[in-house]
Formats: sequence, C-alpha cells, structure tokens
Amino acid sequence: MFDNYIGLCTRHPLQCLPVFITILPIIILLKRKAYISKPYLILLIFLIFKLAIDLIMFHLAAHRTNNLLFYNISIPVSYTLLAGMFIYKLDSPIFKKLVALSIVLFALFSIWDMMRVNPDMNDSHNHSMVPYASTIQCILMILWILLYFYEIMVSMKIPNLFNSTFFWICCGFLLYYSSFVFIAPVLHYTEKWTNPLSIGFAANISYIFEIFYLLAISVGLFNFEKQHYAKY
Amino acid sequence: MQNIEELKFALLLATLAMLIMAFFVITFVMLYQKRKFEAEKALNSIEKSHSKRLLDTALNSEETERRRIAQDLHDDIGTMLSLTKLSLNQLNKIVLEPDSKERSLIHKSQTLVEETILHVRRITRDLVPTTLERFGLSEAISEFINKLEDNNQLQITFHSTADDSMRQQPKVELTIYRIMQELVNNAIKHSKCSNIEIELEINSEFIFLKVADNGIGFNATQLKEDNLVGLGLLGIESRLAIINGIVRYVSPPAGGSLAIAQIPVAPISEKKPEPLYPFKRAKIS
Ligand SMILES: Nc1ncnc2c1ncn2[C@@H]1O[C@H](COP(=O)(O)OP(=O)(O)OP(=O)(O)O)[C@@H](O)[C@H]1O
Ligand SMILES: [Mg+2]
Repeated sequence: MFDNYIGLCTRHPLQCLPVFITILPIIILLKRKAYISKPYLILLIFLIFKLAIDLIMFHLAAHRTNNLLFYNISIPVSYTLLAGMFIYKLDSPIFKKLVALSIVLFALFSIWDMMRVNPDMNDSHNHSMVPYASTIQCILMILWILLYFYEIMVSMKIPNLFNSTFFWICCGFLLYYSSFVFIAPVLHYTEKWTNPLSIGFAANISYIFEIFYLLAISVGLFNFEKQHYAKY
Repeated sequence: MQNIEELKFALLLATLAMLIMAFFVITFVMLYQKRKFEAEKALNSIEKSHSKRLLDTALNSEETERRRIAQDLHDDIGTMLSLTKLSLNQLNKIVLEPDSKERSLIHKSQTLVEETILHVRRITRDLVPTTLERFGLSEAISEFINKLEDNNQLQITFHSTADDSMRQQPKVELTIYRIMQELVNNAIKHSKCSNIEIELEINSEFIFLKVADNGIGFNATQLKEDNLVGLGLLGIESRLAIINGIVRYVSPPAGGSLAIAQIPVAPISEKKPEPLYPFKRAKIS
C-alpha cells in the first residue's frame, strides 16, 4: 500500500521534501504560541491548509491521478491567507484597503481563470494549470512584501531585523515568489497531466525555494516572543 | 528542440536575475535599517550628554548663587550689623542714667541686633555648607544632625566608615550632602518617624549613602507612576545623574523606608578645587 508513496518519494525527492518540511513551522508556531497574534494565526491556517493540499496532491500523484485541480484551488485560498497577514502587518490604512481589495479581485480572477482554461470542470483528468493567476499572485505578493519593507524602513519600529519574525517570513516569501514569478506562467504549458514537458533545472528552483521559505518561517517563528508580538 | 533549450536557459537566467534582485533588496533593507539605528543612537547619546551638561550648569549656577547670597549677607549685612552693634555699645556708654527709659530701649535694640547677627550667621551657614568644604562629609553630616537634634524629639544616628582623610571631589561631596539633607528633610516632613539612621560607606569603587527611617514608608515606583514625586526626589535624581550615581528606595520588611544612593568614586583631580569658602577672612564675632 505504501509502495506508491515510497516510489513517488524516491522518484521525485525534491518535490516531496517540502510537503514534510511544512510540518516544522507548524510545530514551532504551536510551541511558541505565536497564534495569539492574529497574523500568525492566519499563517498557521495557511500552513495547515498547505499541508492538507500538499498531502492530497501527494496522494493523488502517488496513485497517478491528475492533481492539478487542487493546485488551482490552492492559489486563491493561499493568496487570501497570505495577503490577509499583510492587512494586519501594514500600517498605512490605504495599503490595508488595497490589500483587502486585491484579495477579493484576485479570488474572482483566479476562479475565472480556472474556468476559462478548463471549460469542462468535471473532466478532472485533463484539468490543467491556470496560466495567469499564479503569476499575478507572485507579483502581488512581491509588491506587498516590498511595501512592508518600505514601511519598516520609514517607521523604524523594529530595532533588530534578525529578531523580527515577520521580517524572516517576508524574506522567505520574497525569495520564493521571485524565483517563481517567471516559472509560473511557463508551468501552464509544460505541466500538462498527459505528456508533460520538462523545463529542466528551472522547475527545481521553485521547490528549493519552497523549502527555503518554510525554513525561513521556522527561524522567524523561533524568534517569536509573546510579550513583543504587538510590536513586531 | 532548439527552442525548448533556449527557453529553459532564458527561464533560468530570468529566475536568477529575480533572485539576485530580491537578495539585494533584503540586504539593502537590513543595511539601511542598521545605519539609521546607529545614527539615531549617536544622536541620542549627544542629546543625553547635552542635557546632562545643561543640568550640571543649572545646578552649578544654583550653588554659585547660594554662595553669592551667603557672601553678600555676610559681607554687607553682617558688617553693617556689627557696626550697628558697636554704635549701640557706644550709645549705651553715653546715656548716663542707669535706669532711664532710653537705656532699656538701647538694651533691647542691642539684644535684637545680636539675635539678628546670629540669625544671619545661621542662614549663611545653611546656604553654604562650610564644614563640608573644610572637614569633609562625615563632619558636615554630624554637624547637620547635631543642629537638627537640638530642636527635635527625634533621634538621629550617623555611622560612617569613611575616615576624614578620604576626601572626594568637592562636587561629589556637595551632591551627597544635599541628597542627605533632602532625604532627612523628607523623613522629618513625611514619615512621622522617631528614629533616623544615616550611614556613609566609602570603598575603593563606590560611595554608599543610606538613609533609613522607621516611619510610615512609601513606594517610590508608585509615586513615579502617579506623578506625585516632588522637587525633592526629582532633584536627587538629577543631581545623581550628573555624577553617574543611582538611587534606590527600598521598603524594609521591618517598616519605614530606606534610601540607598550609590555613586562611583572618581579620582580626585590634581588641580586644586576653586576656593569655595566665603568665610576665610573673618569670623563673625
Ligand atoms: N521618608 C519618607 N517617608 C514617607 N514618605 C516619603 C518619604 N520620603 C518621601 N516621601 C513621599 O514622597 C513624596 C515626594 O517627596 P519629595 O521630596 O519629592 O517631595 P516633597 O518633599 O513633598 O516636596 P519638596 O521636597 O519639593 O519640598 C512625598 O510627598 C512623600 O509623600
Ligand atoms: Mg522633599
């Protein structure tokens, strides 16, 4: 019964590793009780959601079934959660409103995008990846992270960035989304369930940085201090 | 196939460029933040030392002003009073009848003038602690206590581990003396105590001044939070800030209150302290 899973792990170790590394930040987050602060509660939900989706995709892949539907579903949800953190973390009310607006618009857009590419939603076997939504998610996330960086530089509210949980998280996501922003649109054409096209090492980059951002989140959460959560 | 290879290469290149950019952004944010905080810190320390200097000058000028007033009182009023006393003595000799009305009037004036002279002397003494400057802290505190005990039911004990040869910088001595004054005054004014203990301890590193009373006690942190501290406690802190000292207020379990001031011993500068004594020349007779 486990042969399928072990087979998948040995065939694609780099793709499977992030699934299990996701557990690390979840444990640290729970241990540090970081969820008492709203943004990290959202992060916890995101990580658990990501873990669930990853496990489902892992399971389907192990049984050689098309799992791209779940990938497409995860895009608007994960964007909603991740951008939701920035609503709490950004200071300026204009930016907050902008983020909130982007969440609504992006959710609508990504559903439309998915429908458009897959006219027949019941045909899960030929389901294919959304072409635009993931790229736009990357760009928007990079934008919010840069805005957050801009705010911390102007306001000087964090004396030591190395101890700031959210700075670590932002660095992780910035590198991840930067590495993914050009690959994402290509994936639509290459990651067809039937006869996929290899793009070589480039495909691995995003997995490497997925691991990297999970580790960065873990390091950041490790620095989380309850008494200061309001500040950082 | 050629196309695919090119695409792969372009993709790799673009991703690499993006990553390098992201990396630079992060480095930039971190460096910028660090620089800014360092600049802020430097500014803060400049401001702090500046305000310290301001405070120092303010307190210095206060002491100078006291000295000037004491000097004026002594030189002008004191001299005039002495002359008045002399004239009254002479007048006393001129008036002949022993039991005349004039004679008793002159006698009365004489006593008044003598009393005034005593008062002026006491005031000048209070304004400038001459004993402190001449004989050091232990002597000055003993004298201060003696004066207080004379007209009070209160019992004040003073214990010092410092011998008189161990003199400190005049500024430090004066600070400790003024702090002791304020602490004892506070104990008398507020604590309803019957006993005050003063302790002066000097070792090679620190000077400790402890003033304890057996009165009602008080909570300094609470007072600070409620903004109830008066000029007295504030003055103690600002005087101490200049010479890098600290003060702690403890509530001993036995009741009452205990104030502990700790001041680092600074090496006495070689140059002779400027003469602080207005009473060098003559003593009031
Ligand atoms: N030894 C003490 N025992 C009890 N209460 C004290 C004692 N020393 C100070 N306090 C309390 O602390 C308060 C602040 O004292 P502080 O010396 O700053 O002001 P003050 O004596 O009221 O006024 P000032 O010293 O300016 O004439 C006092 O009002 C008093 O309530
Ligand atoms: Mg007082």
